[in-house]
Amino acid sequence: MRLPVHSSLLALALTASAVAMPGAASATDIQMWVRASGATAAQFMIDLWNASHDDKVVATVIPDNQMVTKLATGSQAGDVPDMVSFDLIYMPDFMKAGFLKDITDEMKKDPNYAGVAQAYKDIATYDGKIYGAGFTPDVSVLLWNKDLFKAAGLDPDKAPATLQEIHEDAKKITALGNDTYGYYFSGSCPGCNIFVTSPMMVAAGSKLLPTKAGDDALTGDGVKDVLTEMKAMWDEKLIPDSAQADTGANFFATFETGKIGIQGTGGFAISALKHDKPDMNFGIGFIPGTKAGEASAFVGGDVIAIPAASKHADLALQFIHWELTDEAQLEGLAKNSIIPSRPALADNKYFKDEPRVVTTAQALGKGFTPYALHFNDMVNSDSSPWIQMLQTAIFDGDVDGAIKTAQDAMKAIAAQ
Amino acid sequence: MTDAALSTRVAAAREERVVGSNAGVRYLLAAIAVFISALMLAPVVLSFFASIKSKADASATPPTYLPHSFSLENYRNILDYQAGLWTYVGNSLLVAALAIVLVVALAVPAGYGLARFRFRGKEVLFLVLLLPLMIPYQSLLIPIYMMFAKIGLANTHIGLAIIHAILQIPFSIYLMRNSFEGVPKELEEAAVVDGGNSFQLFTRVALPLVLPGVVTIALFAFITSWNEFLAALIVMNKETLFTVPVMLVSVRTGHLGAVDWGSLQAGIIVSIIPCVLIYVFLQKYYVSGLLSGAVK
Repeated sequence: MRLPVHSSLLALALTASAVAMPGAASATDIQMWVRASGATAAQFMIDLWNASHDDKVVATVIPDNQMVTKLATGSQAGDVPDMVSFDLIYMPDFMKAGFLKDITDEMKKDPNYAGVAQAYKDIATYDGKIYGAGFTPDVSVLLWNKDLFKAAGLDPDKAPATLQEIHEDAKKITALGNDTYGYYFSGSCPGCNIFVTSPMMVAAGSKLLPTKAGDDALTGDGVKDVLTEMKAMWDEKLIPDSAQADTGANFFATFETGKIGIQGTGGFAISALKHDKPDMNFGIGFIPGTKAGEASAFVGGDVIAIPAASKHADLALQFIHWELTDEAQLEGLAKNSIIPSRPALADNKYFKDEPRVVTTAQALGKGFTPYALHFNDMVNSDSSPWIQMLQTAIFDGDVDGAIKTAQDAMKAIAAQ
Repeated sequence: MTDAALSTRVAAAREERVVGSNAGVRYLLAAIAVFISALMLAPVVLSFFASIKSKADASATPPTYLPHSFSLENYRNILDYQAGLWTYVGNSLLVAALAIVLVVALAVPAGYGLARFRFRGKEVLFLVLLLPLMIPYQSLLIPIYMMFAKIGLANTHIGLAIIHAILQIPFSIYLMRNSFEGVPKELEEAAVVDGGNSFQLFTRVALPLVLPGVVTIALFAFITSWNEFLAALIVMNKETLFTVPVMLVSVRTGHLGAVDWGSLQAGIIVSIIPCVLIYVFLQKYYVSGLLSGAVK
């Protein structure tokens, strides 16, 4: 028996060794890592920059939940990109670890930096030094289905002004029957809930996460008020059963079915809904608290920073200066229905015909970003005290016990 | 064994293959077989249906089974994703090919040595070679990556192929050792009489006989490498170097962990095609190779 497999393997090996040596990258390529969920927005900016600059930005998309590992191991091995765009919430951990380059002097000289949303400036400052800037913002807002509001006899153009109003509206919408539900949230998704549920608590006067060791967690009445109200909505079956197990996979898809009255979401929902469901009438408002006039938002999205071992830090800095200019903010972000990271630009020609985006841009000014080390352990991990508190309070019904347990657990994590 | 005895046994074997005493039982068994096949095929078929739905249709809650609309949107989406589907497929094939070469080049001689030669500490050495099977490789990745970064193997296809080969070699040595032990010693003794040296015994006599085993370890190496995600992500730092599994995780990511089901299913369909093709073409070798490993 002759062995044809051997010769073909040899051929493969030869081809392989020929292809395995890629040509040396051009010195003017600026390497950038972008987390996957920020990639679409980042690409708008990158394309705009590449169209008018000789030094091209080359993006590498990193899956969201691997960005921390990747940047940490890359930094340890000295193998990092020239700049990186990632979930702003991890900024404190990275700054503290010394992975990022101090760009204080350059940013202080940049007149555009002063106009960046306060939440971004806060989250990118450590020990008085600046390590990054806002890049592709997203902010949480309240989303409601105007068609269902009309059918339930509610005013489709008026956003619920308090959490109690959400509850009342949800009752009427659920009463429409035909598998229609008043409210939706992703019950097993810690990130979704810090995004859309925590602003209600903050609006109602609570402070959520400890900033440093010794601080108390989940203070104020807002936490209890919100959990009690949501538990009531769950008990009254105003929320579909599927919410309990949703790890975020259906965070957005459920609303698209047209059978959900109200839910919290991100600014991205506007363009996504217009694309996927052009016939759906929907409204965008602020996420309310427990009293009329209270409102808040979670300022999320990506910040841009330069790893300490960046090989083209000067070019990366040029890019950061450029992305804060009016041109980049308007032509790169606003033109694509993404809110600018400088709130003063909310009133622009692209948003004129879409007041819902203006609402989102205004929410950026009202919003907060928790400044916390160990955010992953406290909030984002699947077994975090944050998600356990929500699940125990809403699905199991033990509101006080849930809050107490979470307070202790968060305090312990902050003390590490 | 005489010819007559042999033909009796063959006839007996044929007899045993007809299952069930009457037609009813046979139909029942056929029905069970069809049912099990349907059960196995259902995920693939449902994946395919989801992949040709429009984006909104694919994410519908409650999910629909049959597509209401036909759309190639999801396939276009993965085709154009970042560096383009073919870049990822090319990287995956290249890394898999290198991993196969490494695995075959190392595991086949090792298996032969362990099967045919007697030396002190052989069984201990064999156990040591199997040890990596017992350690989760995820825990080794970061140190390996640090080392690779120092010696210039990070960000290279060969670097990733080495890791994939490490994952596959213990099992491959085990299988090759058993395959070689299944070859009758008399054949090699005959070759010795004809003046063959050890190397010739290995290449001319034993190796052709264990070809099914070699094909089997090559296939396993291919499938492991083709599907492996974490090492591919950690070792590679550029979009143009990523393999298919890394692209699949990124392409399905929406906001806050929302999943783009349509693109995910389209990616799954595309990524199983090479595995299915290779399996179908080499099925004959594959099955007998598995048996040679199973029965010592």
